[in-house]
Order: sequence, then C-alpha cells, then structure tokens
Amino acid sequence: MDTFAFLVLATVITLSGIGVIAMRNPIHSALCLILNLACVAGIFALLGADFLAAAQIIVYAGAIMVLVLFVLMLLNLKVEKKNLLGYIYLAFGGLVSVVFILMFSYLVRVEPLNQLADNVRGSVAAMGKILYTDAIFPFEAASVLILAAITGAVMLGKRSYKKRTTHIKGQAIDI
Amino acid sequence: MEFVILLIKIFVVLNIILGLASLCTWIERKGSALIQDRIGANRAGAFFETDILILKPVFWGLRIMGALGLINTLLCDAVKAITKEDFVPEGVSQFMHSLAPFMAVFPVFVAYAVIPIAPEFTLFDYTIRPQVAALDAGVLFILAMGSIAVYGVMIAGWTGNNKFSLLGALRASAQMISYELSMGIAFVTIIIVYGTMDLYQMIQQQGTNVLHWGVVQQPLTFIILFVVGMAETKRGPFDLPESESELVAGYFTEYSGMKFLLFWLGEFAEIALFAILVTALFFGGWHIPYYELSGGTWWEALIGHLVFMAKVVFFCILQIVIRWTLPRFRYDQLMNLGWKMLLPLSLANLLFYAVLKLNGFFT
Amino acid sequence: MVPVSWYIILSAIMFTLGALGVIVRRNAIVVFMCIELMLNGVNIAFVALSHVAGNINGQVAVFFVMVVAAAEAAIGLAVIITVFRSVQSIETQNVGELKG
Repeated sequence: MDTFAFLVLATVITLSGIGVIAMRNPIHSALCLILNLACVAGIFALLGADFLAAAQIIVYAGAIMVLVLFVLMLLNLKVEKKNLLGYIYLAFGGLVSVVFILMFSYLVRVEPLNQLADNVRGSVAAMGKILYTDAIFPFEAASVLILAAITGAVMLGKRSYKKRTTHIKGQAIDI
Repeated sequence: MEFVILLIKIFVVLNIILGLASLCTWIERKGSALIQDRIGANRAGAFFETDILILKPVFWGLRIMGALGLINTLLCDAVKAITKEDFVPEGVSQFMHSLAPFMAVFPVFVAYAVIPIAPEFTLFDYTIRPQVAALDAGVLFILAMGSIAVYGVMIAGWTGNNKFSLLGALRASAQMISYELSMGIAFVTIIIVYGTMDLYQMIQQQGTNVLHWGVVQQPLTFIILFVVGMAETKRGPFDLPESESELVAGYFTEYSGMKFLLFWLGEFAEIALFAILVTALFFGGWHIPYYELSGGTWWEALIGHLVFMAKVVFFCILQIVIRWTLPRFRYDQLMNLGWKMLLPLSLANLLFYAVLKLNGFFT
Repeated sequence: MVPVSWYIILSAIMFTLGALGVIVRRNAIVVFMCIELMLNGVNIAFVALSHVAGNINGQVAVFFVMVVAAAEAAIGLAVIITVFRSVQSIETQNVGELKG
C-alpha cells in the first residue's frame, strides 16, 4: 500500500517537475509547481512527518505559490519564445543533469540507505519540543530573518511618490 | 467492517454539507427578502392541484413548500443550472476553465473530514467516533485546506480572460492572504488554551459548564475568528472580489450553469464550515448548557448531533444576516482592518493567553 | 514500507530537474520556481535521511529551509517587480546593465 502510494506520488512529482521547466506559459509552470509541492506534502506524510506535511501545504502551496501566481498575474507576461541560445543552454543543462544523476546513483548504493523508512514520527509535539529547546537560537534567528525580509519587501515594493499639486476650481490640492 | 463504517461516515458528512448548503441557499433567498421587506420566492409549486384522493396530502405539502420558496430555490434553480449553456470564453483552455470550480469546492469539502459531528457512541459492539479522519493535527489540517482554497478563485479569474475577472481574482487573493495571518494566530491562541489540536478533544474539554466554553474564556479570539471567517468566505461586508456594482460578478463573471452553481456550493459550504468551527471551538459543540448527557448510546449521540446542528444553523443565519445588513467596505478600509487592526489585536491576544497559560490557568 | 534509497532517488530527480530549469529557462519567475523545486528535492532527502539517523533533527532542518524559502519568496518577488518596473521585462538576459 505504501509502495503503491509512493510510486504514484513519485510519478506525479516527476511529471509535474518536468512540466515546470517545459511549459512555455509561466502560469502553467506555476500550476505544475503547485501540484508538485502538494505531492511533496504527500511524501512527507508517507515519511511520518505530519507537521511538515501540514507546513508544506500552508507555507509552500498556500503562501509562496499564491504570491508567485499573484505577481505573474500582475505583470501579465507574454509566452516565452524559443531562440538559438536556448538550445546551447539545453545542451549544457543536459550535461549537468547527467552528471548529477550519475553522482546520486553512485551515492544511493551506500549500505545504510537500504533500510526501511519507518524509524521516526515527526509529530507536532516532538517538533515543537526540539524547536523550543535545542534549536531555540536558529528559531529566534529565523524570526529576525522573516522580519528583515518583510521590511525589505515593503521597501522594495514601495513606489516613490512625488508630491504633486492640482488645481480644482482655483484651489490647490495635494494628491 | 471498519471500511463500511468509514464509508457510512463519509456519506453522512457529505449529506450534512449538502444539507447545510441548501439550507443556507434557502435562508439567503427568503431571509434577504425578509430583511429587504420583499416577499421573495413563493410561486413555483404554490398552486399544485390534483384530483386523486391519495395524492392530496402530498400535494398539500408541496403547496406549502412552494409558498415557502423551497421548490423554487432547491429544485427550479438546480434544473435551470443543469440545462443552461456551459459557456467558455474564447482563447481560454477548456481544462483550466473547468478545473477552477472544482479547486474552489474541493478544499472546503476535504476540510470537513476532520470535523467531529457528534459524541462517541457504541452500536452493535462497535465504538464509533463520528469523525471521518481522527487526525491529531486537525486544526492544522483545516488551516492547510483553507490556504489552498485561494487557487480556485485565482484560476477562475485568470481563465475569465477579461479585466473584471482578473481584478476580482487579485482582490480575492490579496484579501485571503491578508486575513489568513490573523486566522492562523487566532488558531494558535485556541491551541494554546486547549492544549490540543484535535477538535474532538477541544469540544470534550469545554463540557456542559458554560463558564468553560471558549466564548467565555476567550471572547476576543471568538470575535477575531468570526470577522476573519466572514472575510475568508468573501461575503458580507467583505465581498469586494465579486462586488456586483463594480466588477459585474468578479472572478466568476464568465461562469454559467453547473460550474457557477459549484462556486455557490463552495461558498455556502464554507459558510457552514465556519459556523461549525465557531460552534466547536467556542460554543461547546454538542454540549447542552448545564445538562449532562451520559453518552454512549446512539440516541444520545443523535441528540448531541441535533444540538450541534442547531447551533451551526444559528451561526449560518447570523452570517447571512450580517451579509445583508452591512454595506461593503472600501478596499483600503478592508486592508487597514486586516493589517492594522486584526493582526496586532490577534498578536496581543496570543501574548495575553500565552502568559495566562504559563501562570497555570486553563489546566 | 519503502526503503530510504528510493526517496533519495526521488529527491535527486527533483533537484536535477530544478537545476536544469535554472540553466534553461530565462523567465526570472520560472527560475525562482525552479529554485523552489531544488529546495524541495533537498527537503525530501532531509526527511528521508532523518530515518537513517533515527532522530527528527532532519525534519527541524526542513522547517528552517521552509522559513528561509518564505523569506526568499518575499524578497525575490519584490526584486522581480522592481526590475520589471525599470526595464519592462523579467527575462534574465535583458537585465545586464552592470555588464562592462
């Protein structure tokens, strides 16, 4: 049953991952990535990481991808065109992927990786206990990072307004 | 046998969703008429006659249903939607256009899976907990499903292929993201106070003593969650994404027939979901004030279920009344309410209850 | 139950796809999405390897990766919007004004 679920999820993940890089319309890429991330949440659930599965949906599918889609719709981009340079990049990219796959296929033959994945369960309570004791410093640092990111995003996204004056019926009004 | 019980649970929960959604539709039609001093739907089926004696009581009932507008809102609307032309705008992928309504309905329906609808009972030696999936992170699951409910709206607005739809979708997504923050923090407050994430445990902890109910212990959280719930369902004074006087119908402008009806179904299912959540988290679920059901038998579970549903219907009606009473916000007012009032308020609320919990309250 | 190595292979496939996308695609937002793909590939490896290690520290690491990804999304998309405002395009080859 678990094997079957894994195979289905892995197939969908691979196909939608190919979709992300193959789709010419960025919005289609984004929708493929949403499907992909939802399936990764399924993989987390299979691995017994309950909290991460929920966090994956809430953070990735629910917040990050909504932002990406929002920006895509806001910018209203055109479909990417093919050009000659693309094929050179594709050849280079293909070379890089072959090297990666060879490296990993050598790596997974290590002995401890043949054991079954049923050792630990990342329940919400267990995660919380580690986050608030052993990992308290990175946890607080992460909150500072998020605050800095929010401030930076607001500063970057803010348009600089020039003060303009218009005259309506003889009165000067600032807009 | 376990599998059969699971199937029965799913069947019952689906029927509850559809029943509550149709009830909301009817209340929306007739209730809005009452509020606006109109009569509302009262014609279809109101003049049925028959000469056959046996069928007379049936037709008598049908005439009453017709006069109350039930036949109009439940039967005629469905028939109309099914037989209507399914319109797809030009230059739009048919697949995406059909996907959007399902994406709008699916997360809401799935979120019902973790909701307990009645106390545990024993029947034929089987102890049944009326909850489809007894996850230990039930509240997180509902939050996750609520966060992917945006996609239906966004894809719908995008496949509409016109400016009104796109504006509606952008408004809806900005609104839902902004209010999700306050919703998440309100949920964290609730989790801190009850010390569990399982909705069943939360309801059992509240008990029959009204002083232990969530609304008495944390009234501010209730207000925040209720306002956020109204905003998340994109109704009431928060219906900017589909404001009919500015954007035709917002993100579902280009939808007709059954697809349009699916959006409506999703919206009413969401109203019912929030009513259920508010009842379960703050109003003691199936508990009757100061009357303890001994529990365990099927008829006591049924009474508990009916009490639960009565409270849920009350909150459904309350949401619809608010929707028909208050005027729509301006967009900057909406954003100010979300970011400058609800978010700091919920953070302060969280801090307050965290300190209380640390000092040994709410054991 | 599935052996850990299967999950590692899946994570390798995801990471490779993401790397390929970063190299091949020129739309900045798609490149951004491919980086998310690579991060998720690594996340799967973290969670799978936490079973080998026998504790959930790997899952805690994934939590922090998610936090960083969220911060990255906020900043990255703001940068992309700023770039779009100044050059009316987000194709990566059009943003080369600092090139000597």
